[in-house]
Amino acid sequence: MGLYRLRDCDFSVRLGAVLFLLMLGYAYVFAFFMVKTWSGLTPSAVAATYVPAPSMSESTMPMESQSSTQPLDLSTVPEMKHTVDTQLLVQDSHIHIMIYALVAALQVLIVFGLEWSAGFRNTIIVWAFGFGALDFAGQWLMNFGINGFAWLTIASGWGMALTYLIILLGTLRAVTRPASSREGGNVA
Amino acid sequence: MKGSWILAALAAPVLLAGAAHPTPVVKLVEHADAIRQSLSGAQRFFMRSVTIGQNDLATIRKSVDYTPDNPDVQFYIGKSADGRDVGVVLFPQANTIHGPVEVALAMTPEGRIARVTVTRATVETKPWVEEAIASGFLDAMKGLSTTDNPASAVIPLKGKLGAMPYFEAEVIAAAVKRGLVVYGVLYKS
Repeated sequence: MGLYRLRDCDFSVRLGAVLFLLMLGYAYVFAFFMVKTWSGLTPSAVAATYVPAPSMSESTMPMESQSSTQPLDLSTVPEMKHTVDTQLLVQDSHIHIMIYALVAALQVLIVFGLEWSAGFRNTIIVWAFGFGALDFAGQWLMNFGINGFAWLTIASGWGMALTYLIILLGTLRAVTRPASSREGGNVA
Repeated sequence: MKGSWILAALAAPVLLAGAAHPTPVVKLVEHADAIRQSLSGAQRFFMRSVTIGQNDLATIRKSVDYTPDNPDVQFYIGKSADGRDVGVVLFPQANTIHGPVEVALAMTPEGRIARVTVTRATVETKPWVEEAIASGFLDAMKGLSTTDNPASAVIPLKGKLGAMPYFEAEVIAAAVKRGLVVYGVLYKS
């Protein structure tokens, strides 16, 4: 298989690979703040965002409405909790899964040139695509009312970040090593 | 090389916390501010929480194609210092594929719309919502009763707004209609 060696590539290719990964990390920093603000970082907060409220059980509802009125301090008015319903999740899925696939594909192009063993390389390739898919699998399972899958979405986010870091470190290592021709090796 | 490891180590704690990416909701007006602005003149505030019963739920469904997500509905009531009713505010919402739109619907003691304020949109819809609001159609809803259709305030905008601002105006009117029905059925229960 004609995989290439990133460290032997023209300077422009190495520069482009490194800058792409650094820009991706830049975006991930803001992704962190976005998640922290609108979803939360704990399983309970993530579940509260994606698991629908229990539907009304008409069999247990009283026949007549019941009300109670309490004095209100305006400083204690509860704010709406941001939730993601099915319609919104459809929109999030169609945008994010496509972007995840494009980012994973670009990462994999870099991975091809990192001179890793085939086993390790293939593992990272599976991770690059798989964690993004599992991220939304967790969200859809929560949308179906299975709040125990908040951990899957959180773990997938960690997995995507870990995959990114491994590729970033491998890339930085590759571009800072001397070209194989100067080591006496063969150029692929 | 050492520098690159340090860079990655610094980035790791932030990156490892990454998770799902929700479509962000934008707060246009805080609930407390919307209540205060909508019920100007109110000195004392109360919250009435209504748990929907089967009969009222059937009435709501019959009036508008809508089933509340939550069986508990909150009404925020304002009274003057001498105990006179100033009005009541509720926060109905309409969901679309572009995210939720929530309004503060203020009703007069006579049961007519006093004011409509959009309180929530999303990052994607905010420009469209703001363009729709700028057309002034929310003012055209003032005075409507629970039996009126707030979509009537949107019709004059046809051809004057772009497709998405017009769509958001229709969504806002749908949220107001839900609020009118919920108010009409539940508030006096």
